[in-house]
Amino acid sequence: MFEISDIVAAYGQIEALKGVSLKVESGKITCLLGPNGAGKTTLMMTIAGILQPRRGSIRLEGTELTGLTPARIVSRGVALVPENRLVFPEMSVRENLLAGAYQRRDRAGIDADIERMYARFPRLKERREQMAGTLSGGEQQMLAVARALMSRPRLLLMDEPSLGLAPLIVAEIFDIIAELNRDGTTIFLVEQNAHMALKVAHQFFLMEQGRITFSGTPGQLAEDEVIQRAYLGTRRAAG
Amino acid sequence: MIDLVQNTIDGLMIGSSYGLLALGFTLIFGVMRRLNLSYGPSIMIGGYFGTVLYLQFGAGPLVVAVAVVVGAALAGLYVERLCFAPMKAGAAIASMVSSFAVWMQLEQAAILVLPRHTYAFPPLATGAPLEFGPFAVRIDHLVMLGCALGLAAAVQLLLYRTRFGLALRAIIGNPVAAHLVGVDVRTVMPLAFAGASAIGGVAGFLVLAVDQQVTPMFGMWATLKGLIAMMIGGLGSVPGAVLGGLLLGVIEVQSQWYFGPQIRDLAAYFVLFAVLALRPRGLVGSLSEASTQKA
Repeated sequence: MFEISDIVAAYGQIEALKGVSLKVESGKITCLLGPNGAGKTTLMMTIAGILQPRRGSIRLEGTELTGLTPARIVSRGVALVPENRLVFPEMSVRENLLAGAYQRRDRAGIDADIERMYARFPRLKERREQMAGTLSGGEQQMLAVARALMSRPRLLLMDEPSLGLAPLIVAEIFDIIAELNRDGTTIFLVEQNAHMALKVAHQFFLMEQGRITFSGTPGQLAEDEVIQRAYLGTRRAAG
Repeated sequence: MIDLVQNTIDGLMIGSSYGLLALGFTLIFGVMRRLNLSYGPSIMIGGYFGTVLYLQFGAGPLVVAVAVVVGAALAGLYVERLCFAPMKAGAAIASMVSSFAVWMQLEQAAILVLPRHTYAFPPLATGAPLEFGPFAVRIDHLVMLGCALGLAAAVQLLLYRTRFGLALRAIIGNPVAAHLVGVDVRTVMPLAFAGASAIGGVAGFLVLAVDQQVTPMFGMWATLKGLIAMMIGGLGSVPGAVLGGLLLGVIEVQSQWYFGPQIRDLAAYFVLFAVLALRPRGLVGSLSEASTQKA
């Protein structure tokens, strides 16, 4: 169980998160929806320890994560696939994966995991010696996911994995998300693409202007009229 | 023709020290994406450490070398704590300006403690130059070249073959992503800074040993030479730094021989101008494309 309670984060005077609380159940896919500027990426960066919250607590299986350095948070089992992927452009695909395992010291285990990533993402295997900066957007997204998995996270955070990708690639990415989850990875996903998220996620939260304004199952989400209009496009067009 | 070749040999020897200076500079720039104007003055402080040991206790070249390197690394760490660690991401200008202030501070500190303008520095090797047919090579120059190439190769190995190197390259590639994969950026950065200053210290020791004297002006000299060589080669590139340094050395020696000492520095600036005008990324380009774009 991953639990965020009453997180407040600010840039100077501007509060980006105004007391956010939510729960992510182990073994599930939880999705955070919301418009641009709602604070979704701020929340992800705060969980990863890049930003320090003003107050509130973030706990993974009961262990407090606030106040820890990003490196410690990784070693506690939380890995973030950041918005815009942020692969290391001047490193090869293989080196990116090695960097993902930076906190680990088990050489044999790391090598085995790299092979597992190649098996799961065959295109990364084809391009293993290629500089990551030369990969396509979809390949970079897969690399970013694989790099995060190299730390063997208990909780995988993903910030808008579909951003800027062609629909076919987006579908592929969501297949991978579902597959990772079937293999037991807990996933906390930020998405603007509510349609795709509806297909895979078990639980939804909606964030607006730094606050959680809705939480529920996919069924409840699909029934909510406001969300219908704002995020799914109305299905009452004929009416 | 013989002059041309002899000048080239001399230029490569002198240039190897410029290459080392640029190497330390470029590592700091690559990792921090900021210019450390106090780089040379940190090395100068190391030089003063060395000369005190030499003049007060008659220390030999090896002890003096260690003192210079350690002194430069400590001074570098001081600069990092003062000008770089406290500055927020994006405040690159603040770091540069404060590193200028610390430059003045270090220079004045040196003048206050040791007020004479010039102090003796122990020579590296005092023997007749080696002769190869019509050409001659100074032994201390040869040591300089050997140390420079060896150290550059070691840095390249460190960057591409070690865990620490992986961390450095991750920070150079994308600092946020480096945090996210678990690199302890706040530990690695000062270590890299001190290490880069220590590399500058090796260069400083070699140059001072050839000159056999140290003055407070050495700081500015080292910053300028390192900066020019780094920019010719390409910011953030290890091979670029070495190449830029060697080229700068050859240009200086040739232009001095053919056009006189007044032209020496002018020629260096002209070549820098030409490189930046024709290849703004420098001859080799950078360790990270992003680092030059964001600079």
